[in-house]
Formats: sequence, structure tokens, C-alpha cells
Amino acid sequence: MSNSAGFDRHITIFSPEGRLYQVEYAFKAINSANITSLGITGQDSAVIISQKKIPDKLLDPKTVSYIFKITPSIGMVATGSIADARAQAMRARSEATEFRYKYGYEMPVESLSRRMANISQLYTQRAYMRPLGVALTFIQVDFADEGRGPQIFKCDPAGYFTGVKAVATGPKQQEATTYLEKKFKKTDAVKGDWQKTVEFAIIALSSVIGTEFRKNDIEIGVATEGEFRILTPEEIDERLISIAEQD
Amino acid sequence: MTSIGTGYDLSNSVFSPDGRNFQVEYAMKAVENGGTSIGIKCKDGIVLAVEKIIQSKLLIPKKNKRIQTVDRNIGVVYSGLLPDGRHFVNRCRDECQSFKSIFKTMMPISNLMDRMGIYVQNYTCYNSVRPFGIVSIIGGVDNEDGEPYLYMIEPSGSYWGYNGAATGKGRQIAKSELEKLNYEELTCLEAINHAARIIHLSHEDNKDKDYELEISWCSKEHTGGKHQFISDDLLEQARKLAEEEEEEEDDDEEEEAGADDEEMAP
Repeated sequence: MSNSAGFDRHITIFSPEGRLYQVEYAFKAINSANITSLGITGQDSAVIISQKKIPDKLLDPKTVSYIFKITPSIGMVATGSIADARAQAMRARSEATEFRYKYGYEMPVESLSRRMANISQLYTQRAYMRPLGVALTFIQVDFADEGRGPQIFKCDPAGYFTGVKAVATGPKQQEATTYLEKKFKKTDAVKGDWQKTVEFAIIALSSVIGTEFRKNDIEIGVATEGEFRILTPEEIDERLISIAEQD
Repeated sequence: MTSIGTGYDLSNSVFSPDGRNFQVEYAMKAVENGGTSIGIKCKDGIVLAVEKIIQSKLLIPKKNKRIQTVDRNIGVVYSGLLPDGRHFVNRCRDECQSFKSIFKTMMPISNLMDRMGIYVQNYTCYNSVRPFGIVSIIGGVDNEDGEPYLYMIEPSGSYWGYNGAATGKGRQIAKSELEKLNYEELTCLEAINHAARIIHLSHEDNKDKDYELEISWCSKEHTGGKHQFISDDLLEQARKLAEEEEEEEDDDEEEEAGADDEEMAP
């Protein structure tokens, strides 16, 4: 830790190599929940999938979730500290609501992602507040007349945000990104309807992590034209059965 | 990873190189020294209980209540720094009142948890404040869907729903007892006796000090979903059962020990 001596205690301070250590440490916090999540584009849908872990027998599984509905059409998966995740979800909702009130139309996912990334950037430059230890993946499918189709954006604690075909977050990010890069080399989207895209997402996450999932091991959010919804365990089971039948 | 003396623990809202916030973890330590609190979710309501260590004989029994009501149908109990707990409860009450004044209906418990989660999380973000030194168990019968809900919230601001929740000094023993209960079938009346027994068991490690038992409930059948303290009769009965059970166990152990002795004899 010789290089970081003293320069990593405060957000506003650059180290001699020009690094912001506190921001780098915030990225470590993203892996602390030990949950990996993916965002996948389909032809007319976008899907987010996240591992779901219930470590304590006394927990009520219904209340354990990292996927949030932000507006009727925008969904978000937040990977990292759950307290920070909920704070970000609340902020995103209020930003989207304010946008709707001010400008008279639903907030596009790109604008929301840019706004959330800008807020994160502030936390890397101002002393008063720490960065939040979560990475956010937003999805939305635009209305047909707007023409943008299915979209995925990822925002991180450094204030960086980017639109992607597919994206992974969490401890298995590296492996998952390699897997997705291979699959999306020649295509922009998973072929087929939203069910097919969900099945692709399940297979992708399952092979990266190296375990077979049951319906209570994962949670899934699906965006279709102008609508976002979270699948119930029964709906997830239907997709798992469909995958099993294809084998 | 060592957790002290690295310098990352000297102020709040600083990430350590592995992405932790030590001040929040130290706040958890403050909680672990407090008296045990538990919450049980039943099919017809919830039960909250707390072990109050008697610090002085001059304290008047049954005054100095630790469980508090935040809205007519919601109760809160906590372990850790008691003044932090009172601040927390005051904020809960403010949230419930402001919700009611805007929406003209009682606040759903999940909404209250969303707001309190953010409030507690906020105290981990700035170095001009410190985190809350409490873990709170919040329970009640929801006004919206009439279902019982039980949550536990930590100094980091993270919270989840629980069937049975325990915090404070005796949480390990309490948790292993809570895991044995059948939450599908459990009723509030049964849960009161379990709560008394579990608090009694978790007091085992702290036996040199006396304690006072406090139990409250929200039961659809018995309190109409309102949060109330249980009657003195019920409390007395539950405590007696817990003590008798302990004596029986002691007797069993003695008998077993005696049998072993006989076998050992030539």
C-alpha cells in the first residue's frame, strides 16, 4: 500500500499517479454482495437477470430483490450494497418523475442513465459525500414511433455510463463479458421473442457461474414496448422447463 | 483482512481497499452488546419481545418501556444505543404522520421500510455524521392487505423481511431457536410463549444480571391489528412457562449425569 499512502482517504484528492483511490474502492464494494447480474438485448425486448441468494433460513424470500421498477417502462438492476442500491432506485424514480412533470413525456432511459451518471460524478469530485457502491443497469424498449427499440445502459460509481448490446456486473463480470462478447460478435440482439431472450439470459448466467438454477435462485426483469415487469417465480419456472425441453 | 488500525476506520463514509465501511461495522459491534430483541411473524400477526437488563434495583418495574408504537398498527423494538433508537422511532412516526396527511390512509409497512432504509443509509454517506448504533425490528399488520409483516434494519441501511428476527447479545441462540418454529401454522398466542422462552434461553450467557421481559403484539384476532403490549396475565403466564421449561431441562440433565455416574461405577 506504499503508493496509496494517505491519498486514498479522501475523494477530492488525486494520488501522484493521477488515480482516485476511493472511487476504485467503491468498485470493490460492488462485488461485496457476491451477486452477478446481466443485461441482454432481444429483438423487441430487453432483459435483466440477477442471481438471488437467500443465506438465512429466517429471511422472507419475497422481500429479497435487486431489481427495481423505475417508471412504467424503465427497469433497473442494481448490483452491490443493497442499502446503496435502494437509495439509487429512489433517486432514479424521483428524477424520472420530475422529468415527466417538467417536460410532459416519459423519461427516455438514456437521459435517466446520463442523469444518474452525472450525479455519481459529483460524488467523485466533491468532498462531502462518498460514491455509492453499486453499478446500475437500466433497460427500456422505446415506443415504436420513437424508433430506438430495446436499449441497455450501465452506470458505475465513477460517473461513467455507456449503452451496450449486453453487459455483466459483479464478481464474475470478466468471465461473463468474455462469454457475451463471443455470443454477440455477429449479432446485435438475441433472435426471437422476449421468452427466447429470457432463456438466453438464463443459459448465459448459468454457464458463467457454473450452476443449474431453480426458480428461486434468480430474478428476472423484462422490458417490452413501453412496459417493464418483473417475472414471478412461476413464470421463471416456465422458462426453465422450456430450456430443459430443448436439451 | 484485518479490521483495525489500518486508518480506514477513523471517519465515516470512507471505503477501505476491499470496499468496506468500517464505521458501519463498528456500529454493529455497539448493537452486539445490547440486550436481545426478537420478532416473530405468525399467520395472524406479529410478536415483538425484548430482554431488558435490570441495571439498578431503583428502576421501577414495568415502567421504562423499550418497545414503541410508531403508528397504530406498527411496533418497533431495537438493540444497541437506546438514544439512537428513540431518534429512529421518532423519524418512523414522522414518516407515518406525513404519509397519512398526504394520502389520508395509514402507511403500508413496506413503504415505511423504504423510507427508513434510505434515512439510515444516509448516515453512512457523510463524514460529518456517524451511522446509527442500532438494529431495529419493525413489525405490524398492514392496513392495506391485512397481512402481517416483519422487517429488520441494520446500521448500513440494509433491511429484509423475516419470518423470525433476532438481534443483540443473545442473537445466536435466539436465531437457532427461531429456525425451529413452523411459521406456516404459528399463531400469536403460541408465539408469545415461544418469545418468552427464546428470550429466557438467550439470557443464559448473561445470567449474573436479572432481566425484565417485555412483549408486544399485533394480532388480527386479539388486538384487531393494533399494536399493543400483552396483558400482565399473559406475560406472567409466558414467563412462568419459560422458567418451568428451563427447570425441567435442568432436571433431565441431572438425571442423565446421574445415570452416567452409575454406569461408570465398578
